[in-house]
Amino acid sequence: MRRTLAALLLLTACSAPAPPRAAAPSPTPPQPATLAAPTGDRPVGTAVLHLTDGSRPDPWNLDAEARELRVTLWYPSGEGEGERAAYMSPRESELTLAGTGAAAVPPDILSRTVVHATTNAPATGRFPLVVLSPGFTKPVSSLTSLAEDLASRGYVVAGVDHPYENHATTLADGTVAECLACDSDTDPGFGAGVVGIRAADVSFVLDELLKRKPALIDRTRIAMAGQSIGGASALAAMAADPRIDAGINLDGTTYARLPGGLDRPFLFMGTPEHAPGGRDGSWDRDWKLLTGWRHWITVTGADHQSFTDLPQLQGALGLKPLAGAPTAARLAEITRTYVAAFLDEHLRSRPQSLWKAPISGTTSG
Amino acid sequence: MTRAVAAGLLLLLAVACTTPDPPRIEAGAPEDTACGEPQGPPRERTPATIDVVEQAYFCILANYWRAPAMDSRDLLVAGFAALTRALPGASTDLPALTGDRRADWAAFEAAYRKVTDRADLAEVTLDAMVAALDDNHAHWARGAGRPPGYYDGDGYGLGFQVDDGDPLFVAEVEGGAARKAGLRPGDVIENVDDVDVLRPRFPDARPVELRLRRGERRWSVTLTPGLYPRDLATLQTVRSRLIDDEVVHVRMRGFSPDSANRVFRAITRLRAGRDVRGIVLDLRGNGGGSPIEATRLVSAFVHGKVTSYLCTAGGRCETGHTDDTVELVGLPLVVLVDRGCASACEHFSSAVKDHAAGLLVGVRTAGVISGPGQPFLLRDNTVLTFPTRRHLGPNREIVDRIGVAPHHFVPATPGDAAAGRDAALAKALTLLDRR
Repeated sequence: MRRTLAALLLLTACSAPAPPRAAAPSPTPPQPATLAAPTGDRPVGTAVLHLTDGSRPDPWNLDAEARELRVTLWYPSGEGEGERAAYMSPRESELTLAGTGAAAVPPDILSRTVVHATTNAPATGRFPLVVLSPGFTKPVSSLTSLAEDLASRGYVVAGVDHPYENHATTLADGTVAECLACDSDTDPGFGAGVVGIRAADVSFVLDELLKRKPALIDRTRIAMAGQSIGGASALAAMAADPRIDAGINLDGTTYARLPGGLDRPFLFMGTPEHAPGGRDGSWDRDWKLLTGWRHWITVTGADHQSFTDLPQLQGALGLKPLAGAPTAARLAEITRTYVAAFLDEHLRSRPQSLWKAPISGTTSG
Repeated sequence: MTRAVAAGLLLLLAVACTTPDPPRIEAGAPEDTACGEPQGPPRERTPATIDVVEQAYFCILANYWRAPAMDSRDLLVAGFAALTRALPGASTDLPALTGDRRADWAAFEAAYRKVTDRADLAEVTLDAMVAALDDNHAHWARGAGRPPGYYDGDGYGLGFQVDDGDPLFVAEVEGGAARKAGLRPGDVIENVDDVDVLRPRFPDARPVELRLRRGERRWSVTLTPGLYPRDLATLQTVRSRLIDDEVVHVRMRGFSPDSANRVFRAITRLRAGRDVRGIVLDLRGNGGGSPIEATRLVSAFVHGKVTSYLCTAGGRCETGHTDDTVELVGLPLVVLVDRGCASACEHFSSAVKDHAAGLLVGVRTAGVISGPGQPFLLRDNTVLTFPTRRHLGPNREIVDRIGVAPHHFVPATPGDAAAGRDAALAKALTLLDRR
């Protein structure tokens, strides 16, 4: 993650005289994106929970005596109830765009992204739980396309916003937490620190969810997935919390130590940068420590954000897709298919044939 | 040395960002030996050849700050001497050199090619040429890579920080072999003179034998360099706290990007709603980094002044001024310095001292500030770094090799280290008391 950040910094802040991927100003104002429809057969409900862990101070905001987390739930729901949910608030959109340097579009455009989940929808049963953790500087809404798809297939998804580790998270009192962690992301040990914090965040979220939602969540079937440092955090959280049965890392350089290895199922899914023997050595290091079911997928032409909503938002943000990258629809399909197959196999005990016959455009090891 | 290198690398980053000049080509150098700034992410390294050495030779002569005043033959002699040491059986001698850079190179290359075409000997030769510059910001980076099993934040080495006063003693135990062997702060190292022996870098894994003394007790241990986890909290570049609710103590380990702003935010936060007496800025062990950050930090304590000069061998200088858009802190300042304060840290310290913007407490700084390291990409995709201009302090004084002397000389001692006392910090607090 840090390497990517550093590379981006060099490319954008230092040497690039022109914005790298901005398209020429279009004659019509950019239109907000509509996310790919969920592929499962269930409607999706969504709700936000604010959870406060009074047992530890916030690691970033030195004036906050407790760690507050914001959890977005996506779950299988009844039909046609409630209003369509917001992707994020206009203020969050503005701060997120400012933080990522995408300035030439209406500041609220991300908040107008069309999603498929509805609010105030009743849950329709008890389901396995999937915790999602986003990349550094990204809100968990950056994984909405994946979250909605999983909920439509019969999973409860708990997306965690780790405040101060992204550009904008609205807290319970309405204030918006900005990226305090961005100050120190070049420090040695930064990544190791973040995954430790997120492991603690996730254990607390599990405590609370299992207590508050016993009718909705099957506590015996829990997985975690994440992108970038969120995926690295899945490994860290599993090492720290035996309640998590299986994990997925979407292109995140890993940081957690695994003394004695990890014997639960784990999926590495990444760009060619993270292929076996690739530039980042952390997956090669940890692969040897995975002693349970394990699989390693490389997606040809993918970049670091290919596993998030970003490819679907590029048009709205005036960005062009990278040369040689699969289409946004194809990237969503690849990510959703592998993640769902992994969860179906390990949380629902439904063996999948996919591991022997990888999707075209991906390689499997 | 380790610190110096780290400092150089940090400088490299900063300078890469701030120097928009196009790559320079020396008039008269063969066209394919031009060297320029690295662009984009690093590419895979190819084996070093004599052509890489040639490119580096002309690159140094075209761009190194002292090159106009240098005898170019010194580079070739140093390279050839290293080659003969590596190949004691080789029968070729170095032909006569005239001082004509191109003709001398041709003669050198012909002699070299008679001896060897081994890539590792090209490395030996180039290493020796760079060493001949005897410049603490000249460095040929070829990336030994990360040690296997490395985790973010890990240290590599014997597991302790040494205080390189006289005598050498253990300043801090970080982990690894030192912790396993039971070393403690204040343990005196009696058998080592060269402090670099205590700071091995990967892939150096040779065991080091230490004869130690703690009070009356003497004993020996053998420590083997290796990876060890470090306390993550101590690795943060900027850490801050209040002392006695009235002094802001900020520890800054390096001048990494945005570090000056981090210091300002820490000060703002800690002084809010309090009557703060002063600031202790703890720069001990600060290996440097970006000159921009050093300048911004100076600018919080003084405006309208020169912070440094960057000069050519001919004495043409570019003047670095304070950034007067930075808000003045307006509180008394004491800066803690030691032999580990290098490069940008000395840029800062010399400016604070010359402008009486604060008091320095501790021991003389490292004297590792020849000039900002400028990176040049070589054809094997390695990076050669050296200063294109030398650094001078605000009074045009040379800080390199000499360092900055503190106002108050307060060295650390084995006794203080063993007892967990910080005499320099105590002195700083008295100084702020008196003001």
